[in-house]
Amino acid sequence: MTALKYSPLDDRHRALGARMGAFGGWEMPISYAGTITEHTAVRQRAGVFDVSHLGKLLVRGDGAREDLDRALTNRVADLEPGQARYSLILNDDAGIIDDLIVYVLAPDRVLVVPNAANVDLVRDRVASVGAKVEPLDWATPALQGPRARAILNAVFPKAPALPYLGVAELDDGIVIARTGYTGEHGYEIFCPPGDAVRIWDAILAEGAEPCGLAARDTLRLEMGYPLHGSDIDQRTTPREAGLGWAVAKAKSEYLGKEAYESHPPRKQITGILMKDKVIPRHDARVLLGTRPIGTVTSGTFSPTLRIGIALAYVEPGSVSEGDDVNVEIRSKVGNGVVKKPPFVGSDPRSEG
Amino acid sequence: MYPDDLKYTKEHEWARVDGNAVVVGITYFAQDALGDIVYVDLPGPGTDVSALQPFGEVESTKSVSDIYSPVTGRIVERNAALEDSPELVNQDPYDGGWMVRIELSSASELDGLLSASEYQKFLETEDEPK
Repeated sequence: MTALKYSPLDDRHRALGARMGAFGGWEMPISYAGTITEHTAVRQRAGVFDVSHLGKLLVRGDGAREDLDRALTNRVADLEPGQARYSLILNDDAGIIDDLIVYVLAPDRVLVVPNAANVDLVRDRVASVGAKVEPLDWATPALQGPRARAILNAVFPKAPALPYLGVAELDDGIVIARTGYTGEHGYEIFCPPGDAVRIWDAILAEGAEPCGLAARDTLRLEMGYPLHGSDIDQRTTPREAGLGWAVAKAKSEYLGKEAYESHPPRKQITGILMKDKVIPRHDARVLLGTRPIGTVTSGTFSPTLRIGIALAYVEPGSVSEGDDVNVEIRSKVGNGVVKKPPFVGSDPRSEG
Repeated sequence: MYPDDLKYTKEHEWARVDGNAVVVGITYFAQDALGDIVYVDLPGPGTDVSALQPFGEVESTKSVSDIYSPVTGRIVERNAALEDSPELVNQDPYDGGWMVRIELSSASELDGLLSASEYQKFLETEDEPK
């Protein structure tokens, strides 16, 4: 293991009394006031996360969009400056190397944001189609929640009103994107490391509550967003993960296309909403009656619903929406119901 | 954070002696390490428990942990409020967050438990909560 990396906001987190932990090779804040308190702040008010661990890759050149279009599963070539899109990048067996967001800043500059642990793999894979790609050391405060727009406008009076999946580069080079991982109206701010403390402090001064990665995990799971390394990985195809919508099947070219089109699914992702007071956890067995049909990949207590929720993989075709299933964890078996996420009614497209 | 009038275990329970019984809960350290507690699973009155054996579970958003009995005896009461308000264990671990009352088999067992100062010395050897 190489040494952990530290965010430019590290001193701020410690001063706020954050509980720190290792995540994707970085030492990051896991919680401040408590996961449920922070989760509720994002659902009802506004929270700010430090997600500076996320990878930042800048793809340059007149053909930047076309290069990425050949590498990634989703369409990039048709994106205009100011637009962002979710995509996957596959290995030659159609396994998911990572999921990421591309932000077109200018015709010849595209920001690619993969997961922290996968940044080198993504960089090499994108470079393999000839793209000119360089890593950035930018920091990333993420402002999320119904009050996010009001706070953003106070901190960045010159920021334009962004639609969902919109992105803008301000005069001072700071990038503001209407993206996130919580299901709420929100923004991810990409800035040079020297600007991070000023922006973070200004967002807190406007009333956003500091939130850690534990709350980010419960928020994303309520939306059913998969986490790479837990719910998706190189042994999982987009179809198996319910992410076929992020594959532009009509495209003539993307890495992994041949395998994706020929591999039948071996498993099927499903959401489970618990009825019993048992919290599904990673690796818990899923049973139909008493027959094992799959495994939980992410599970938690939903602070919004106050019951357990999970993402799991089951045998293809073994369950449908509304079916009763059991989750076996330690000595307990809890009853739940198959439910297509999101588990809650939040919508990042909402105008706050 | 660690009241002097309580006894403690190395598994992070506390015990308050009350006549021939003890009231049991988990310590400030334990609830802080667990984070937000969402379920407390306790056996009902009449259940026999053994010293330093698990008898219940406390589950937080991030993990689940056994609750160990500080003494051998029989549960005579459990805190019904924790069914609907498990967060009492975080908010008030030594009072509103109590878990069970156990009638002692033998008062001499209390001698094996830690004092507040001994427990705090022990904590210094424990890892920081994750």
